[in-house]
Amino acid sequence: MSDAGGAGGGEPGLVVRLSEPEVELLTRLADQVEALLDGGVPERGGDRVRDRLFPRAYLDPTEEEAEADWQAAVHPDLVGAKREALEVLASTLRDARVRRRGGRREVHLGTAEVDRWVSALNDARLVLGTLLGVTDDDPNPEPGDGPDAPMRAAYLFLTALQAELVEWLAGTVAGPDDRPGEG
Amino acid sequence: MSGRLERLAPTLPAETTDEAPGAAVALDRPWLVIVWNDPVNLMSYVVWVFQKLFGYSREKATRLMLQVHHEGKAVVADGTREQAEAHVARLHAHGLWATMERDR
Repeated sequence: MSDAGGAGGGEPGLVVRLSEPEVELLTRLADQVEALLDGGVPERGGDRVRDRLFPRAYLDPTEEEAEADWQAAVHPDLVGAKREALEVLASTLRDARVRRRGGRREVHLGTAEVDRWVSALNDARLVLGTLLGVTDDDPNPEPGDGPDAPMRAAYLFLTALQAELVEWLAGTVAGPDDRPGEG
Repeated sequence: MSGRLERLAPTLPAETTDEAPGAAVALDRPWLVIVWNDPVNLMSYVVWVFQKLFGYSREKATRLMLQVHHEGKAVVADGTREQAEAHVARLHAHGLWATMERDR
């Protein structure tokens, strides 16, 4: 990964270099996570992955009506935002700006696209992390050689990539010195 | 939060008994937006989301993230029910595990 001007020249951006298997993995995950967005507001306790993608807002059982109203109002927007991020991930991977160099593909991203990638990677990590039962005691599951090994390896790859992109994005945000009123 | 309302209280008219009592109670107890600890969300990502959504400094965002991490949850914002609902929606859009409840 490296800094680079975006397509317009002046816009900040970066270049993500990925192997072909990594491109295929990300493309497949984007597709699989997008499929989980369908189905409306989850029936609680029915599917822990969808429960995690779309949590409750109210825990108070006396607020069931407010919870139902809120879910009805925001669920389509949440699905739309997540779908858009996943589609940006998928489309930039197959975009014309993708170039081969040294056996790896170069994906040129502007700041807004990096933001969408980070969201899409986070949703993919929520899905895989929930399926793998990731916990605070074991946040980075070693791939090992069990049946979960490919999913664990995918999770670790997503984690490393997201961490790099977040680090880059954080560098684009004004630091505390620029916000004397905060803190 | 409640401190602000206490400072305003002396300026209120003395006879407020005609007012619906529920209105004063509702004003007194803002809605709290709570983010819960989650083993998946990266610490750096949570800090960045707090900065992006709430305009917090990196210092303040980091302090809140560490509170979530070590104490299991943290109040990251407060306001009216509508404001809290909007904050929770934006936090969910970013994959954070957020809920809202009345201040006690």
